Amino acid sequence: MRLDTLRVILNSISKNAMIMAATLLTPVIALAADVIEPPKEQSLANWDWVTILTWVLGLLVILVIARAFDIGALTEKITGKKVVSWNNVNAWIAIIFLIAGLAGVWYELVYHGKYLMLGNSASAHGDTYDSMFYWTFGFTFFVFVVTEVLLFYFMFKYRYDEKRKAHYYFHNNNLEIIWTVVPSIVLTFLVLRGFTTWSKITGELDKESEEIEVFAYQFGWKARYAGDDNILGYHNVNFISGTNPLGIAETNAVAELVTELEGEIAKLEGLQETEGDSIKAWSTRWDRMKSTGLYRTYPEDYKTLDEKLHDGLSGAYGRQLEKDIKRKKTAIRRIAEYQKDKDFFNGSANDDKVTTEIVLVKNKPYVFKFRARDVIHSAYMPDFRVQMNCVPGMPTQFAFTPTMTTAEARDVKGNNEYDYYLFCNKICGAAHYNMKIKVTVVESEAEYNTWYASQAPFVAPTTAETSEPAEEQVAPSADSTQIVIDNQVAINK
Amino acid sequence: MSTAALHADEHHADHHHKESFISKYVFSMDHKMISKQFLITGIIMGTVGLIMSLLFRLQLAWPDEQFSFMETLLGKWAVDGKLDPNFYMGLVTIHGTIMVFYVLTAGLSGTFSNLLIPLQVGARDMASPFMNMLSYWFFFLSSVTLLISVFIETGPASGGWTVYPPLSALEKAMPGSGLGMTLWLSAIALFIISSLLGGINYISTVLNMRTKGMSMNRMPLTIWAFFFTAILGVLSFPVLLGAALFLIFDRSFGTSFYLSDIYLEGVGALENIGGSPVLYQHLFWFLGHPEVYIILMPALGITSEVISCNARKPIFGYTAMVISLLGISFLSFIVWGHHMFITGMNPFLGSVFMILTLIIAVPSAVKAFNYLTTLWKGNLRFTPAMLFSIGLVSFFISGGLTGIYLGNAALDIQLHDSYFVVAHFHLVMGSAAIFGMFAGIYHWFPKMYGRMLNNTLGYFHFWLTFISAYLVFFPMHFMGLAGVPRRYYQFTLVKEFDVWMDVNVLMTVGALIGGFAQLFFLYNFFYSIFRGKKATQNPWNSNSLEWSAPVERIHGNWPGEIPTVYRGPYEYSRPDRELDYFPQYEQDESAPEVLKTEKSKTSPAEKEEAESSVFFAAIKKVFGLS
Repeated sequence: MRLDTLRVILNSISKNAMIMAATLLTPVIALAADVIEPPKEQSLANWDWVTILTWVLGLLVILVIARAFDIGALTEKITGKKVVSWNNVNAWIAIIFLIAGLAGVWYELVYHGKYLMLGNSASAHGDTYDSMFYWTFGFTFFVFVVTEVLLFYFMFKYRYDEKRKAHYYFHNNNLEIIWTVVPSIVLTFLVLRGFTTWSKITGELDKESEEIEVFAYQFGWKARYAGDDNILGYHNVNFISGTNPLGIAETNAVAELVTELEGEIAKLEGLQETEGDSIKAWSTRWDRMKSTGLYRTYPEDYKTLDEKLHDGLSGAYGRQLEKDIKRKKTAIRRIAEYQKDKDFFNGSANDDKVTTEIVLVKNKPYVFKFRARDVIHSAYMPDFRVQMNCVPGMPTQFAFTPTMTTAEARDVKGNNEYDYYLFCNKICGAAHYNMKIKVTVVESEAEYNTWYASQAPFVAPTTAETSEPAEEQVAPSADSTQIVIDNQVAINK
Repeated sequence: MSTAALHADEHHADHHHKESFISKYVFSMDHKMISKQFLITGIIMGTVGLIMSLLFRLQLAWPDEQFSFMETLLGKWAVDGKLDPNFYMGLVTIHGTIMVFYVLTAGLSGTFSNLLIPLQVGARDMASPFMNMLSYWFFFLSSVTLLISVFIETGPASGGWTVYPPLSALEKAMPGSGLGMTLWLSAIALFIISSLLGGINYISTVLNMRTKGMSMNRMPLTIWAFFFTAILGVLSFPVLLGAALFLIFDRSFGTSFYLSDIYLEGVGALENIGGSPVLYQHLFWFLGHPEVYIILMPALGITSEVISCNARKPIFGYTAMVISLLGISFLSFIVWGHHMFITGMNPFLGSVFMILTLIIAVPSAVKAFNYLTTLWKGNLRFTPAMLFSIGLVSFFISGGLTGIYLGNAALDIQLHDSYFVVAHFHLVMGSAAIFGMFAGIYHWFPKMYGRMLNNTLGYFHFWLTFISAYLVFFPMHFMGLAGVPRRYYQFTLVKEFDVWMDVNVLMTVGALIGGFAQLFFLYNFFYSIFRGKKATQNPWNSNSLEWSAPVERIHGNWPGEIPTVYRGPYEYSRPDRELDYFPQYEQDESAPEVLKTEKSKTSPAEKEEAESSVFFAAIKKVFGLS
């Protein structure tokens, strides 16, 4: 019998000779690789063949171990004695996993606990939020621990035993009613609480609250304060230009933009007239590059030229010109429609201040009006428990009251350089990860006023105009602004 | 039904000898072959998705390092071994798309619905084998299209797997929104066709082609799950097709369904007016939310079957399990708004969606508790399939509980789009569903290939994957609670993110272990197809009908008559039987059909009364029907 066992083991080893050989050979190959390509300095950057081979080696070792278990199984079959009882092994691993896992969760809660944004909110509604959070956390953490412990305990306790037969237990209405009704009650409680919290946060606006416009674009943020008249001027996407990044309704800037657009149109129309000439010139250059072999020296230039020529010959270039001209003409036409409406250009935008930082006063209610220029962004201020998407074509808003100044937050966090930031939380392009604006909360109006005075209004105050403080006005009909206002009304509700 | 079976018999006899290589392995109409095609395509796509996730996890853990192998692999997308931000977005997007649609929808549902529906209800094949074949080949075309999009010059679609316009609609907004996005939309359109062809087939097979004695209440829970999944897919995928069509129109034909008031750097103000990006989100999530359950429910079905079989114990509360599946299916259609609490949607609508969403926790809780009770006093055989099923229950609990936070509109303000969300759905939908899929593969591999998978490798595979999944996804909760946003290329925006650097490294190491563990599976799978131990007819001593079919997987499934079904599929460890299982197809007049509990045995009438009135009354109460 013993000889038999030996034979089987030897057999198995010879079967796995390839794996064994590879295991022995791998270090040799790794050494050879080192000779062919000397290793760079040891860091994670040098993930080259050596590293990959090391991984392969690791895999092989584990495979060999696995085969060794097979040998174990064979031995078991022949000798009739148990070598490994996988049922027991798995049951024990389950218990170890449970204990290690729960310890890990506990360790993480302790270790990173102070970085979690809980219990130190910087806004008035933040406390309501946090209390809602704690209730939910309490229930779910309890259920999490109880059910996971039961699951792994059952795994351990009821592991297979040939002598035992499972309990034939089809159903029990009382039990099922209990775990339908109890979660229902708990959830009803959470839903009701959630409903009141949500209604409180999104409910009626404080009449006193100050409006600040937050403007998102690829890739950055700008803020607009209402200025001395306390009214944010109108805006339109067609007014956006280099000097007027937010597209606010200011007469001169818009007039400038129209001139600029007209100039561009003239230039494009010029290109349209000389389209044939351009294509001819590209063609000549293309031929020259090709014939002199220069395309090999400047492959990138050649590629660009090739594309240009292709677009020119296929008519895509001409169509693009036409499209650009049409788009710019539409913009001018739309601007002209707005310009007819004197209420739209009522001058309330002139004293608006466009800033690259947001400064707020403690305990003063604010409402942020969000606007996006190009794609959807999301304004996220975790310290204040504030988040709202900025959607092109649909203004959104979020009202809150900061209750902790930046200085206080620095004390709480024990970090002298701590600052509040608003950052982007909706995928918006390559630099999505790099889009923030600083938010500072100051203690007193005086501090705020100092900062505020240092910000320049959109139009220099020397041309101080007497602006009528406009009430809610209806913008030109049959245009986007109508939709804008309708949406705003819907959101305010 | 019997005429259909007869017809199939003739058909089977006629064509048995005409199978060529192409008709057997390529354009096969045999549901078992199609299921293997789905599975292998799914495994290939899953591997691609996994490698993508490892690439961006490396970037997140060591943003300043240069990985020379990355430049070899990705060329201009990783100059000097540093991942390009645009390509990072592309990787994230394609990883999500592949995992959600290609692996966990087609790979999971396609494989196991195809394999198990005919075998477990007792049919020769699907209702329409031809449509079934088309379903696979549309899926194949779709996969190829999506993979091609990774290799084009401007890169793949990179607006996140939800591809929200305007980002995805405007070529100038991001490079991936050009040709890459066009290919993405084409791939998804093909995918939807595939999914609809499959879904209609599954529904009609379940309803029309059950064998004698296989009444609806004797169907295994797998079939119930596949049935509801197919209904969800058939009702919701067309809406995504509509959304995609509108997006195609906006991109190519100058319409303004989703676009309004946009100014692009370097272009100027666009002409589009009057559209709404939020409209797209409504349409997308009208599919997107049922999609989550399209992914999860087949996994839950598989788990029910595997747990019951390996615990040698009837599944606890069969009726409750079916009703909770039904409840989840129904509710999944009216909760899509919880993805949109902070998109600027009317807050009142937000509260309605919050209430509906949290109701889903009730049927989910019933399922979790029923699984626990099934394990209680069982006789648990830890096959790899069983371990993966228990792993699923663990993920289902830990991931499901965080849904209670995210379904709450108020809490969502802070947690929306943070790492908390990533943790939540990777646990409850990603890991849970993939574990269901693994459980299915380990359990039904003998039915697919007539051979067994190696158990020892399966144990290594399970424990390494299980530990690594928790290692990767659990710390994400904490990052999310600290306000770290998802889809960031690197965490350099504010200093506070530095705290999470070591956690990021830990998660990446976890991901590498997890990726490494899949090698055990891949080796085991492909090796065992050819060299695995030969399977016996019923290797797991299971009750359900598929194990009555011979090991040689013949066209038409059963050589003679289709077996008749005499009882439900979960009669394990009956006290009146010596063996601990009692197959559905085994005739034994002496055994009463339903034994249930001792008490109910004494007075069946009373049991009937209790079952129909008390339990249904409770369910009604929960759903507010009375």
